[in-house]
Amino acid sequence: MTIAKGCAVSAAVLAAAFLAACGGGAGTTENPVTVVTPPSGYNGPAPKTDDVQSFKLNLWDNVQASNRCGGCHTDGVGQLPLFARHDDVNLAYEAANTVVNLTQPSDSRLVAKVGEGHNCWLSDPQACADIMTTWIEGWAGAQATGGRQIVLEAPVEKEPGQSRNFANASQADFAALLHGPILSEYCSGCHASDAATPQQPYFADPDLSVAYEAAQSKIDLDVPADSRFVVKLGVEQHNCWENDCVSAASEMQAAIQAFADTVPLTAVDPALVVSDALRLVDGIVAAGGNRYEAAQIALWEFKTGQGTTAFDTSGVEPAIDLTFSGDVQWFGGWGITINDGKAQGSTTASSKLHDLIRATGEYSIEAWVIPANVTQEMARIVSYSAGQDARNFTLQQTLYDYQFRNRSTETGLNGDPALSTPSADEVLQATLQHVVATYSPVDGRRIYVNGALVTAADPVPGGSLVDWQDTFALVLGNEADSQGLWAGTLRLVAIHNRALTPEQVLQNFDVGVGEKFFLLFGIEDVIGVPTAYILFEVARFDTYGYLFTNPHFITLDGTQQPEGIPLRGLRIGVNGTEVDVGQAYANLDVTLSASQFGDLGQPLSALGAVIPLEKGPDGDEFFLTFDRLGDATYVRSEDPPLAVTLSDLPPAPRFGVRTFDEINATLAAVTTVDPEQPDVDATFQSLRQSLPAVESPSGFLASHQVAIAQLAIEYCNALVEDPGLATAYFPGFDFNQPPATAFAGTNRDLVIEPLLDRVMGIGVMTQPDYPVVRDELGYVQSDGTRPDNLIDRLIAGGNADTRGIVKGVCAAAAGSAVSTFQ
Amino acid sequence: MSASSARFSHLARRLLQRSHTRRFLPAGRGAGRTVSTLTAGPDRLGHSFHTSGTRVDRMTQRTWLIACRAAVLLAVLAGTAAAGPREQAKRMHDRLAGVPPSDAVLTAMQADIAANRPLDAAYIAMANPSFYNVTLKNFVAPWTNRDRSVFVPLNDYIATVVGMIHEDVPFNTVLSADILYVGAPSLGLPPYSASNNDHYAQMEARGLDLMTGLQRTTQSSLTGLPPAATAGVMTTRAAAEAFFVAGTNRAMFRFTLLNYMCNDLEQVMDTSLPPDRIRQDVSRSPGGDSRLFLNNCIGCHSGMDPMAQAFAYYNFDEASGRIEYTPGQVQPKYFHNDANFPFGFRTPDDSWDNYWREGQNSFLGWDESLPGSGNGAKSLGVELASSDAFASCQVKKVFRAVCLRPPEDAADRAQVSQMASLFESGGYNMRQTFARAAVYCMGQ
Repeated sequence: MTIAKGCAVSAAVLAAAFLAACGGGAGTTENPVTVVTPPSGYNGPAPKTDDVQSFKLNLWDNVQASNRCGGCHTDGVGQLPLFARHDDVNLAYEAANTVVNLTQPSDSRLVAKVGEGHNCWLSDPQACADIMTTWIEGWAGAQATGGRQIVLEAPVEKEPGQSRNFANASQADFAALLHGPILSEYCSGCHASDAATPQQPYFADPDLSVAYEAAQSKIDLDVPADSRFVVKLGVEQHNCWENDCVSAASEMQAAIQAFADTVPLTAVDPALVVSDALRLVDGIVAAGGNRYEAAQIALWEFKTGQGTTAFDTSGVEPAIDLTFSGDVQWFGGWGITINDGKAQGSTTASSKLHDLIRATGEYSIEAWVIPANVTQEMARIVSYSAGQDARNFTLQQTLYDYQFRNRSTETGLNGDPALSTPSADEVLQATLQHVVATYSPVDGRRIYVNGALVTAADPVPGGSLVDWQDTFALVLGNEADSQGLWAGTLRLVAIHNRALTPEQVLQNFDVGVGEKFFLLFGIEDVIGVPTAYILFEVARFDTYGYLFTNPHFITLDGTQQPEGIPLRGLRIGVNGTEVDVGQAYANLDVTLSASQFGDLGQPLSALGAVIPLEKGPDGDEFFLTFDRLGDATYVRSEDPPLAVTLSDLPPAPRFGVRTFDEINATLAAVTTVDPEQPDVDATFQSLRQSLPAVESPSGFLASHQVAIAQLAIEYCNALVEDPGLATAYFPGFDFNQPPATAFAGTNRDLVIEPLLDRVMGIGVMTQPDYPVVRDELGYVQSDGTRPDNLIDRLIAGGNADTRGIVKGVCAAAAGSAVSTFQ
Repeated sequence: MSASSARFSHLARRLLQRSHTRRFLPAGRGAGRTVSTLTAGPDRLGHSFHTSGTRVDRMTQRTWLIACRAAVLLAVLAGTAAAGPREQAKRMHDRLAGVPPSDAVLTAMQADIAANRPLDAAYIAMANPSFYNVTLKNFVAPWTNRDRSVFVPLNDYIATVVGMIHEDVPFNTVLSADILYVGAPSLGLPPYSASNNDHYAQMEARGLDLMTGLQRTTQSSLTGLPPAATAGVMTTRAAAEAFFVAGTNRAMFRFTLLNYMCNDLEQVMDTSLPPDRIRQDVSRSPGGDSRLFLNNCIGCHSGMDPMAQAFAYYNFDEASGRIEYTPGQVQPKYFHNDANFPFGFRTPDDSWDNYWREGQNSFLGWDESLPGSGNGAKSLGVELASSDAFASCQVKKVFRAVCLRPPEDAADRAQVSQMASLFESGGYNMRQTFARAAVYCMGQ
């Protein structure tokens, strides 16, 4: 069948969609092709050069099929340019050269066309563009790996625009609409300086100016729904009132909206020294370098940003497009966040991993990841497996470790034992990390994190992958049976069918992840130097922020050689106002000088600044401000000191409990026993932490009293059992008499009085009355009756001797509150 | 005794008499259960009631139990009465020394108070060794460990603070001086070692008196630190073991802030400060959410990291058990996890800057005569200890220790403010501060 005939037949048979394709319409037609028609029928002239051969292998073979570009751009159909023609690959090569940029493959016309949706064979034109880029990069080979010259073009000059900001907001409106009805009402229990446990920021402070200052960073006047106050309630469910976060968030948002409505759109403070303004999309795409992708057989960059499919843009068929299930969200700036779900490819498509890796016997798993936490265990990040018990490979997280399981002839069915990064090093952090797991029969398994090899030699000898199964599925963020959830964000995942070398790993790490732009902020008007700019590399950092890095001073006109221009205090502004957080260049103090120009001009700082996202990359307009730039200066007023309003605390008790050492020292003092006496010391050491540790009476427990009593008894025991001490302490008392005699009549006063004098003190009116205490211990009425008291009850018990009773009386007095309270 | 206290005692006694009838019935259910629990062996805290065989031999369990009960009941008798000079003296002694006074001491203090010399009375109380061995030791102990536990062995940090207070060394040098207190040679202790705590552990185990047994010396003469590298208690072995061990050395800053400025990081969060000195190990997007960094992390790290840089040359070597100082060479811990944010600050030396001198945290009252920047821990210690917050903090801690409560109303706050002024103007004398606090609370 000729191509012409094919198109005619197709036109007759395949209906309008295909006609549209031949006609070059820009509409996106989903046509998920997983298998390309093999170019086996090529009978034309052989490639004349190596470059033509490279073109054929990398691009022509992939696009010539009738269900790709070969449906139209062929000699048979005649849609120019004929880069997919079938009759002569050398002529196709000539045509292709007019629509590719081998220096910068992503800038190729072919890429732009499919990226615009021109007959993209996937539902996402970006994915088609990425695949086309990959094919052209493959053709370009070494030409594309040597980096590129970045051509900086002057942006359109634009003044910073208008936006709502707090400079024109009224504190009174804040008080009436937000502080009074919402913040004071619901948040002052913590976020106020007079709270019982004050928590910064004090946006609910009774001092309105303090509250207003603190609240500003939590309010988005342009988009009230994005205010931190609203998100904190609605999304993070932080102390919602009345247990209804939806209503609370709604109420908060309405209040912020009402407040925002009082704020007029304002221009940038005219006193500021400002640069021109730019949006991210006005920038120049910055390629930080080229990834090593020669052996890449699957690649997910997660650029689509919507839908439930992540496309494999490696260009290697069949594509393992991943389908989301469960709670999987797109991540701002390319990526997916797996909260409670997975992204899984079909077993059929996944089998390419089996086929291509088994062919080489080695492979690498590469990923840019952001673990959500460091508490999850056995959490599958990238897994090619069937479930809990069978796998070909798995990269997983356990606490602070990455772990790598690979099935080979030297392991079991499940790829155990796992190779782990050293736990003590805690290399896994809940932040963006580049992790590469490589396997080869020679070196075994290795794990690289952020470009560095972090694992020791694999204890499992290298084996063959001959036992791998081709019926498994590639899954990201979970196990195939959903029993191995990994919570986190994946910003890029690639599979290579070679073990990347350390140099290649480092190369890919250095390239980074995500899209970056060069933004040229014009300062010509400020310093009077034509084509003078402050150049920043800006990237979408995550869903909520931008990253500004590598600031340079540059003049696009090479004849301009400014020298000696002071620059001090650089800040980044967004949407008409300076950002109030993250100003990493606020202390910058440099002199702009052409003599320090490098490739991109004069480097100003090695630091990076994270700036909160407000309206998104399409809407946020950035500009720079300076405290001093050339002769222009801005006098910045300093934030006032925090005014802490102290309010009265509830009255605390004026008394307290003696603490452990105090009790020990007190008992030593009132019994005259040396605390170093072995029995006493041993008892104290064993009881030390059972005694009160704080003075607060409210913290006093029954167990404390028990411990005090134990210690008191030990002291009293030591006192009574030491003849010298006992005689000196209880002069005149006869320990050798039986209890009835020893405690007869007023004899008992010989025990009670010395004790109470020491324990209670003499004449201290804040202590209990002496007779009352004495009566409790051993009262005898003049008529001989004896109301209930300690000594008589002990005697009546019949099994206590005289010494034992003295110890009991001593312990009751010394271990009581009269000595242990202060 | 006043009429009210007499009535209280009378009522208490009647109550007790009723309680006796009810509580001391041997066959009572409650008593039976209690006996069973108490004699069954170790209690729930793991403490056996049979720690001393001697005691058990000589005292029946019933005697013990009744005595214990009696002790509890006697507690109810504690009455209230108008506090005259004698009662004020008693309270003052209790609070300062932690132990009841002898009759002679009480009488002497009473006389001073009656003669309107209450500070003299306080000094009598502070002459009791327990002021040093008990009150001050436990006052300082929580500052020396991350758990803020009071149950730690005596160490060089505690001994140094106790010694400084005893000798009225200006306390604003506590974070900067080349100072150390060790046991006197006559005590026969093992010599001070920079590698272990044996010297102090033995001093405590033998119950030696800190009031008379401590002797002042310098760290540089014993630990190997150059004099310029010493920074008061921050460079003691105990502090190093607690706060320079592993980690990033931020702990030393945080706990110094907590213990000597009475502010934790939450109270000094300021998200408006430049983050240009925040190290590379701090993720700018924890878990993929930069809002966490911009709303929380930055608030503390922006001020903390430029000051914690002062400790860049310090480490605690766990293997040798001693502080390590590497002048000119930043410790590797400052570069841990440096790939977390490669565009963060990379520590080149031990220079520090106090960003809190500007903005909201200027309320801490920094000394305008100081530059607010420097190199190393010693000058940072001077910076911190010269602030109003430092003086106020020491006074508040003393007030809390002596009055057993925080300042709670305008009168208390005025007292603290006055004491802080006197503390600053009077040579940072801690004993005076204790005395003033005791005088203030003696009549309450």
